[in-house]
Amino acid sequence: MDDVRVGVFICHCGTNIGGFLDVLRLVDYTQSLPNVACAKDNKYTCSDAGLTEIKNAIAEKKLDRVVVASCTPRTHEPLFRSTCKEAGLNPYLFQFVNIRDQCSWVHMQEREKATEKAKALIKMGVARAALLEPLEETEVEVTPCAMVIGGGITGMTCALSLAKRDFEVKLVEKEERLGGTLNSLYRLYPTQDEASKLIQAKAEDLQKNPKVEVLTSSEVKEVKGFVGNYDVTVKHGENDRLLKAGVIIVATGAEALKPTSMYSYNGENIISQMELEQRLEKGKLNANKVVMIQCVGSRNEERAYCSKVCCLTALKNAMLIKEADSNAQVFVLYRDIVAQGTQYEDYYGKARETGITFIKYSPERKPVVEKGSVRVYDELLNEELTIPYDLVVLSTPMISHHDSAILAQKLKVPVDKNGFFLEAHVKLRPVDFATDGIYVCGCAHWPADISESISQAYAAASRASIPLSVGHVKTEPLTPVVNEDECTGCSLCELTCSFQAIRVEETEKGRKAKVIAASCKGCGACGAGCPHKAITMQHFTDEQLLAQIISLGEVKP
Amino acid sequence: MTPQEGFSPDIIGFLCNWCSYAGADLAGVSRFQYPPNVRIIRVMCSARVDPAIVLEAFVRGLDGIMVLGCHLGDCHYLTGNYYTEKRVKTVKSVLESVGLSPERLLIDWVSASEGERFAALVKEFTETIRELGALGKEANCDIQQLKTRLAAAKETLTRDRIRWLVGRERELTEDKNVFGERVTQEEFDQLMFQTIEKEFEKRKILISIGDDALSIKEIARKMEASPGKVLRNIVSLEHDGLVSVVGIEGNSPKYRRVRG
Amino acid sequence: MEKPKAVLIVGGGIAGIQAALDLGDMGIKVHLVEKNPSIGGRMAQLDKTFPTNDCSICILSPKLADCFRHQNITLHTLSEVKEVKGQMRDFSIKLRKYARFVDEEKCVNCGDCSAKCPVKVPDEFDMKLRKREAIYPYYLQGVPAVMTIDREKCLYLTREVCKICEKFCAREAIDFEQKDTDVTLRVGAIIVATGFDPYDPSGISQYGYERYRNVIQSLEYERLICASGPTGGHLLRLSDNKPADRIAFIQCVGSRDFRNNRYCSSVCCMHATKEAMLAYEHDPKVKSHIFYMDLRAGGKGFQEYVSRGEQEYNISYIRGRVAKITEDHDENPIIWYEETQTSETKKMTVDLAVLATSFVPRKNVEELAGTLGVELDEHGFFKTDPLSPLDTTRLGIFTCGCCREPTDIPESVAQASGAAGRAAEAVMG
Repeated sequence: MDDVRVGVFICHCGTNIGGFLDVLRLVDYTQSLPNVACAKDNKYTCSDAGLTEIKNAIAEKKLDRVVVASCTPRTHEPLFRSTCKEAGLNPYLFQFVNIRDQCSWVHMQEREKATEKAKALIKMGVARAALLEPLEETEVEVTPCAMVIGGGITGMTCALSLAKRDFEVKLVEKEERLGGTLNSLYRLYPTQDEASKLIQAKAEDLQKNPKVEVLTSSEVKEVKGFVGNYDVTVKHGENDRLLKAGVIIVATGAEALKPTSMYSYNGENIISQMELEQRLEKGKLNANKVVMIQCVGSRNEERAYCSKVCCLTALKNAMLIKEADSNAQVFVLYRDIVAQGTQYEDYYGKARETGITFIKYSPERKPVVEKGSVRVYDELLNEELTIPYDLVVLSTPMISHHDSAILAQKLKVPVDKNGFFLEAHVKLRPVDFATDGIYVCGCAHWPADISESISQAYAAASRASIPLSVGHVKTEPLTPVVNEDECTGCSLCELTCSFQAIRVEETEKGRKAKVIAASCKGCGACGAGCPHKAITMQHFTDEQLLAQIISLGEVKP
Repeated sequence: MTPQEGFSPDIIGFLCNWCSYAGADLAGVSRFQYPPNVRIIRVMCSARVDPAIVLEAFVRGLDGIMVLGCHLGDCHYLTGNYYTEKRVKTVKSVLESVGLSPERLLIDWVSASEGERFAALVKEFTETIRELGALGKEANCDIQQLKTRLAAAKETLTRDRIRWLVGRERELTEDKNVFGERVTQEEFDQLMFQTIEKEFEKRKILISIGDDALSIKEIARKMEASPGKVLRNIVSLEHDGLVSVVGIEGNSPKYRRVRG
Repeated sequence: MEKPKAVLIVGGGIAGIQAALDLGDMGIKVHLVEKNPSIGGRMAQLDKTFPTNDCSICILSPKLADCFRHQNITLHTLSEVKEVKGQMRDFSIKLRKYARFVDEEKCVNCGDCSAKCPVKVPDEFDMKLRKREAIYPYYLQGVPAVMTIDREKCLYLTREVCKICEKFCAREAIDFEQKDTDVTLRVGAIIVATGFDPYDPSGISQYGYERYRNVIQSLEYERLICASGPTGGHLLRLSDNKPADRIAFIQCVGSRDFRNNRYCSSVCCMHATKEAMLAYEHDPKVKSHIFYMDLRAGGKGFQEYVSRGEQEYNISYIRGRVAKITEDHDENPIIWYEETQTSETKKMTVDLAVLATSFVPRKNVEELAGTLGVELDEHGFFKTDPLSPLDTTRLGIFTCGCCREPTDIPESVAQASGAAGRAAEAVMG
C-alpha cells in the first residue's frame, strides 16, 4: 500500500459546493493525507476540462487511484469511472466522495462545520481508495424476448414497436380481451375518434404479427432473474407457464376513482365520467340539463395530485352532449381548466363556442349537490348560483391500478406515495426503473392521455430494445469471493441469498460455497452473515469499510 | 438527562445505495438542512453491514451509528433488509451487555423519495446521541473497562455460534421445520440472549487474561465480576481449549490463554 | 448499395441528446447536428428543474459527456442541414459545417485568447445579460469544450485587423484558414428536435419589457439565479444591482392570447413556481406573487410542488390577467391587475417582474421544414397526429420535444426515446 498514488479532485460545482464549503482549505488538507499524490480543485470536475485534467493527472502523476469529491455517485460515478478507464486505469480504482448532496447542500448555514465534515469524508474516501482493487465486469447473454405486461393501448403499441424491430414479444393481459381502459371509453379527444376502432386496429395488427404472442386472461405470478434473464411464471386459469424474457415492460395502466359517497353519487342521475362514457356510447343519455363537477376526489388532502386528463375528458363529453342535442344545457364546474399544449387550448376554445357554461369554484366553497339542483359559488361572478340538473357527472381522477402494489413487489420495483410506479429519475429517466431491464410506460407511471401514452410506449420500447439489440449486458463485479480454506460448507449463505447466486457444492476440498456471478446482484448479505467470515465482498470488503471507519476514528479529537 | 456541554457527537451512517442513500441525496437536492454530525458510508445493501463492523465503529470511538435501508418489502435485493433487522437487533443486545444504550444504534428505513424524512431522522438521532453524551457515559465504568467490554463484544459478534444463530433466525421463527415445529420468537430471543451473554462473558475473561497467567480471583477483580460466574465460564473456556492451567499459586490455579 | 443503418438528429438539446444516446446504445450510428458551438440546448441555460429542484446542468452534464465519447455518435456542432434527398431507409443529407476558426483537437478551453480579445458583445447564452468576447466558450460546461470565433464580430474576420488571439494561443489552436465545408451523409431516418425560442415580449408594449429594466423574462431570470450565470447566482436587479425581495411572476405572456399565440405553453406554471422557490431559497425574505389564469400542474408531483411553494416558500398565487406594468421613481415595476375574487382593479409594487414568455418555434423553422419536406402546424410547430405523436408528415422523419409542442423535460426525454424507437423501427425494420 505504500506505493499507492491517489489523485483527489475536489469540485466547486459552480457555487453549489464552493459557495458553502472552503474548497481551497479542503485541497490543502487533502494534500497532507497519506498516499495522496495530488489534490486539485475544479470549477466543474464533470466538465470536459475537469475530466481532461483527471486523465492528464493519471498519466503525468502516475496515479493508480482516483478520488472525486463532488456530487453523488448515483449520477456521476459512471462518468468518472469511464474517464479513468479511458486513461488506462481500472474503473474500480475510482472512489466517489459526496460533498454536495450530503454536505454543502444540507449545511448551507454552517460553513465551518460543513468544511470539517467534508474533510472527514475526503479522508474516508482516500483511505478506502488506497485499498481498492482492480476488477473486471462479466458479460451475460440477453434472452432475445421482451415481456409486456398489460394489453391496453400502451402495452399494445409497445409490443408492436418491438415486434417491428424483429424482437419476440410476449404480451400478457389479465382480462379476456385486449384494450384496457379504452374498452370503457366511447370517443377520444381531441380527434373524437371511436376508442373501439383504435383498439380493434391495434389488436388486429398484433394478431397478425408472428413475433408477438398474446396471452389474455393471464397474470404474472412470479418473477425471478435479472436483466437479460428473467424467468416469469404466468398463470392462465389453472396452468402455470414459465416464460423467459430479457426485458420486462410494465404497461398496466391505471383506473378511475369511483366517486362512492361523494356529492351524493348514486350511479343513476349522479354518475361518474366513466359511466357517462357508457351512456353516450349506447346513445341513452336522457338528460337535457347536465352539470359536470371537476376535481372530485383529487387536489384535496387525501389525494393531492391533479390527474391531468379529467378536464379534457369533461370537455369532450360535454361537446358530445351538445353535438347530440344543441339545446342541452351543460355546465362544467371547475377549479382550473388543464388544457395544455398547442391543440388542447383550441379544444377548450371550441367547447366554449358550443355554448357550454364554465363556472369556476374554489376548494373552500365546493359545489353542493341537492335534489334537482346544484348550488355553486361562482368565483368569477362572485355570486352563488343554483343550477337545476337532470344529470350530475363527477370527474374523478385516475388512481393507481389496484394490482400495482402486488406487481411492484413481484418485480421488486418501487411505487410512489400515490401508488403509481416510481421511475429511476423523475427528469431524465422517465420510463426506466432503477432495476436494469424493467421499464414502465403509460398510466402505470402517471395519468396520461392517449397521445402521451403512445409516446411513452415507443419510449419504453426504445429503452428495452437496447439490451435486446446488443445481445448481452455487462454485470458489475461486486460479487462475493469464497475463501475455501475458511468455508465449512455450512450453507448459511445459500439460505441467505434471494437470488440462488451462491450454492454449496461438493469439491475436492469437501463441501464449499460456490458463487454464480451472473445471478449475483452484489448486495453482500451472504458475506456479512458468514459464520466463519469466509466470504469477501469485492469492492465492499471488510478492510475497505473498516478503513473508512478507522480514518474517521482518527479524526476524533 | 441534560446534554453534555459542547458535545458534538460523531456518527456514522451506513446507507444502502438504492433507497436511503438516494433519500439522503434527495434531502440535499431539496435543501433540507440537518446537523453535520453524520458521516455516510455507502453500501449496496444494508445487509452488507456486518455486526462485527458496527461494533468496530464503537471500538473506534464513534458515538452513534445509523443503519438505513429500503423499507421492508422494498429491498432492491428482495430480502436484504430483513437480515439487517435481525443483525442490528443482535448488536443492540450485545451493546446492552456492554452497558451501552442500545439507542446508540439506529435501524430505520428511508425510501428514495423521503428526503425530508431522512433529514428528520438525522436531526432526531443526533439529538438522541447528544443527550446520551460521549460513548460510554452511561456505562458507569472507566475507559479501560469500556475498551475491554467493547473488544469482547466485537469478538462475540465474530463467533460462528452467534453468527449462525442470527442467520437462521428468520428460518427458525418464521418457517416450520421438517417436523412441522416452529420456534416461537420468545423462545428464540431467550436462546439468543443466553448465547450472547455466555459468549460475551467468556470473551471478557479472555481479554482480561490477555497475555498474563491469572487466578479466578484476579480475573474477577479485573472484570468487576463475581468469582463464581468467572469459574463457570472458565470451565467452559477450558473445555473449548481456549484456556489452560499453567500453574498453581497457593490454592488457586492460574489460567493462561491458548493462542491458536 | 446497402441501406444506411444510421440516423440523423437535428438539434442537440436534451431531446436530441437522449434520442442520440438511445440509438447509439442500440448500436445504430448517429449524426447529431447542432447549429450552436456546443450541445446542451435550452436545458443547459436553466438553473434548476422542477419538481425536484435538481440542478439542471448537473444532471445534463453526464449526458453531454456520454454523447461526446460515444463510439456510435458523431457530433456536428456549428452545422446545419442544407438538403434532404431520398426517402425513408435511404436519405441523402447535405450538411453545412461552419468554420469554428479554432482547432477542436488543439484547443483546451483555457481562455487565454478571450482574455486578450478586444471585442465585447452581448452573450446570447446568458440572454445578453453580460458581455463576451468574439472568441468565446459557448458556455462553461459546453461540449465540445472548446473556443469558437464569432465570425460576425471578430475584427480580423470582418476587417482583417487584430489576430491577437492567434498570438496568445500557446497551443496554436487558432486557425483563420478554416473554411465552411459541405458533407454528405446517408441515413435511414431523421429525428427533428430543434426545440423552441422564448417569445419576444417587447411586442406586448403594456408590459414594458425593454422599456423597464426591472421587467425581465423567464430565461433571463434563470441565468440571473444560476451560479454560473452573469451575477454568479445573485438575484440582483438590472437597474441598481440591489437584491429583489418582492417578485411578480406574470404568466401566459404571449400564450393563451388571441393576439399572439392561442396555445398554452404547458410548462410556465411550473417553472414560475420553481423560480419563485429558488428566490426564497436564496433569501427567505423574498415574497413572490404568481399571476395566473388557470394553474396547470398535471404532471407527476406537480400539484404537490405548487402546494409546497404556497405553504413553505412564501408564494401567493393570484388569479387574474395583468393589464399593464408601469414603474415608479425607483424603477420598481407596478403591476396593474384585476383581482377576480372582487373584480377590482388593483396595483402592486414589486422589485422585479418576471414575464413567463410563451414557447415559440425556432425562428428559422419554416426554412428547416422546407428542407426536410415536412409540414408545420398553424403555430409553426412540427405537425403530428395524436395517435402517431412522434411521426411528422413525411415517412421516416420523426420529431420530439419542444419543436413539436411546448413540453417539459421528462416528457421531452420520453418523446426522444420514443422517436429513437420509431427511427430504429425505420432503420432496422
